[in-house]
Amino acid sequence: MIELKNVSFSYEKDRPVIRDLSFRIAEGESVGLIGANGAGKSTVMKLILGLCSGEGQVLIDGEQLSKANLYRLRGKLGFVLQNSDNQMFMPTVYEDMIFGPLNYGVTREETDRRVDAVLDRLGLQELKHRHNHRISGGEKRMAAIATILAMEPQAILMDEPSSALDPYNRRLVINVIRELPQTRLITSHDLDMILDTCSRVILLDGGRIAADGPAEEILRDRALLEAHRMELPLSLSR
Amino acid sequence: MHMADALLAPAVAATMYAASGVAAGVSIHQLKKDDEPQKLPTMAVTAALVFAGQMINYTIPGTGSSGHMCGGMLLSALLGPQAGFLSMIVILAIQCLFFADGGLMALGANVWNMAFYGCFVGYYFIWRPIMHSRWFGEGKGAQRARIIAASILGCVITLQLGAFSVVLETSLSGITELPFGAFVALMQPIHLAIGLVEGLITSAVLVFVYESRPELLREVGAGAGEARRSLKATVAILAVIALLVGGGLSLLASGNPDGLEWALFGNAEEGYAENMGLDEEDFGVASAAADTAGSIQEATSFLPDYAFPNSDSAAGTTVSGVVGSALVAGVAVLICLAGGFFRKKKTTG
Amino acid sequence: MNKMEKALYELTEMDDLAARSSPIHGLCPMAKLLSTIAYIAVVVSFHKYELSALVPMLLWPVLLFQLSGIPVRTCFYKLRIVLPLVMAVGLFNPFFDRAPMLALGGVAVSGGVVSMLTLMLKGVLCLMASFLLMATTPIDHLCAALRRLHVPGMLVTLLLLTYRYVGVMTEELAVMTEAYHLRAPGQKGIHVSAWGSFLGQLLLRSMDRAEELYNSMQLRGYHEHFHYADIKPCTPRDAVYTLCCIALFLLLRLVDAASLLGGLFVR
Repeated sequence: MIELKNVSFSYEKDRPVIRDLSFRIAEGESVGLIGANGAGKSTVMKLILGLCSGEGQVLIDGEQLSKANLYRLRGKLGFVLQNSDNQMFMPTVYEDMIFGPLNYGVTREETDRRVDAVLDRLGLQELKHRHNHRISGGEKRMAAIATILAMEPQAILMDEPSSALDPYNRRLVINVIRELPQTRLITSHDLDMILDTCSRVILLDGGRIAADGPAEEILRDRALLEAHRMELPLSLSR
Repeated sequence: MHMADALLAPAVAATMYAASGVAAGVSIHQLKKDDEPQKLPTMAVTAALVFAGQMINYTIPGTGSSGHMCGGMLLSALLGPQAGFLSMIVILAIQCLFFADGGLMALGANVWNMAFYGCFVGYYFIWRPIMHSRWFGEGKGAQRARIIAASILGCVITLQLGAFSVVLETSLSGITELPFGAFVALMQPIHLAIGLVEGLITSAVLVFVYESRPELLREVGAGAGEARRSLKATVAILAVIALLVGGGLSLLASGNPDGLEWALFGNAEEGYAENMGLDEEDFGVASAAADTAGSIQEATSFLPDYAFPNSDSAAGTTVSGVVGSALVAGVAVLICLAGGFFRKKKTTG
Repeated sequence: MNKMEKALYELTEMDDLAARSSPIHGLCPMAKLLSTIAYIAVVVSFHKYELSALVPMLLWPVLLFQLSGIPVRTCFYKLRIVLPLVMAVGLFNPFFDRAPMLALGGVAVSGGVVSMLTLMLKGVLCLMASFLLMATTPIDHLCAALRRLHVPGMLVTLLLLTYRYVGVMTEELAVMTEAYHLRAPGQKGIHVSAWGSFLGQLLLRSMDRAEELYNSMQLRGYHEHFHYADIKPCTPRDAVYTLCCIALFLLLRLVDAASLLGGLFVR
């Protein structure tokens, strides 16, 4: 579904952020992208989404990402931002949810059907006509996920989906992520959440892959994690 | 400086709406031509920031009072005049709709007084020429000096123009008995001080932006001397504007010598106010609406059937007017009571 | 509460009021917008001495307050901004216009006093009308009406986006102000040494925010124009309401109803 082939990228000359990165995420896979601050996690996301481009190839669904097919390929991806306030720019939840589908030429009737289906599934029906600046942080995060689900993307990318949430809302979000049928790529420092939601983990350090394998294996490897400025997930450190 | 609806005659309000509307239309056309889709979110976020930023109290050293920030100059230095203008419109609209600062009818006038001058005059005649002038020399220090000079000069001049427009619009609307000249003499000096403080605060913010991310500021670092207009030309243009405004002022004031006298000698003269039996016709600026209003009143006030018997009709009208107003107030109270009654019934039943 | 917190409170209060339901809330936004504009235009068109004719105009907002169940108190709180300005201009009138207009129980009332009162009444009436509009109409509904009135899409979208971020920015500044004053007790405002950096810091962060916002729009297929929800199309009921309102205003404008009413009793 998502494939990177020898991708390198740098914001400033001679200071590469991503170095010769290659990996492949299969259809329906759930992958956690972890690493210390500055390891290049966000940049990888941006490269996949076509928000920046470097050397090498990024393939979405077998097609190489380029300027010409950017709009079409982005329709297959959904990106949940870390800051939901930046994601939800319309006044009401409903208007935010219809923004994506209508931009991709989905009819009004079909859009409305999707919105209601997503809201019902997430149990958010009562948020539908609420104003974005009046809902709580937890509701906002759920609504942001709903916004992306209404686009019915084939793959969902999430940047720190559990940040700044209380334990209850964090659990709600985790449960939603676990039940998604789509391909998922999740970056987070919340390794317990990664353990709960991902089957595979890619550990980045200095723009390179330090480890790539089953989540259970990598997240239990104290020596590996500590070598890359990380710690064991709380649930496994006992 | 926000005008209220009550201070404007409909004709004046409509004229100002038309003027601001044309400026907005031209701006939108220009922005569409530039085709920078990322501009819209930047405008919205910056406008929201300026809206909130205008609520910050800045302590003015040496005094007990505080100043505020000048939105127009800041926005046009960051976004350019067209985008800055549209952002200001939106800020003024939100202030008027949600905070009752200004008014729906007065929005056109407020946009003109605060956004048009601040963005277009401030940008094309002050910000851009100063940013390109060679007079300040080279280097970072010179650039800082340019930003400070442009912010202060910009805020002072655009605020003076705005204040003058407020006086003009109010007087043209014929709602104040305050002579034009006196009104001007009252408004301009106050806004000179306000402009100076606003300019200082705005320059502080812009210099900070320059130190951290100079690429965010328009026309900065484009290289001195590449300007389409030199500083000399700017000074000449400013001088012409000053002459025009000053000339217009004295012309209007001379048609109203008492007002000028009031402005010059103050209100100390005894029996002065009695000499001031002015009404709006005397400064020749009665609006069309006021005219029609007058004729309608004429038509209605001579209807004999509600005049007070055995007295001159004008006094009779006013007495029935006073009684009628009291009755209307009574009806209003009844409506309120009825409303309260029904609501109570609804909540209990 | 600092100024920003007060502003936030006012915003949420308006939001809550607009989210209620009543016969007035149920009208289509276009009908409310048009009738409000007509009302304000008629109110400001009254001549400066037509105080008694202006008084009956009070009945419309009073009726609306009752029908919509909006508390008048909130509205009068907002008067604190408009009234001082109107007063400042109006207060000069009694000094300059001293010709006696009418005698009330032997006390002569000058034209200046009448025109001052007219001006103040106009100020209050206009405020009530626009307050009622915003207290019964959510911003997205109002924007839908503006779009139908062919206000350029860019301006309407900008209004919506800005309104969305006014809350976010004001909240951030409120927190910053709080933090500043906790470390600088006794200072009334921002000290001159922090004039630039206080807002400047937030400004720089906002630029990054704007970029992220644009990314988020782009990723959801944004190109050029915005799609909105279809909000409350106008019904014949709305048209009747608007026409009745406008007819009423014109009638009150042409006929001095207060004097007519009073004449019935005084005679």
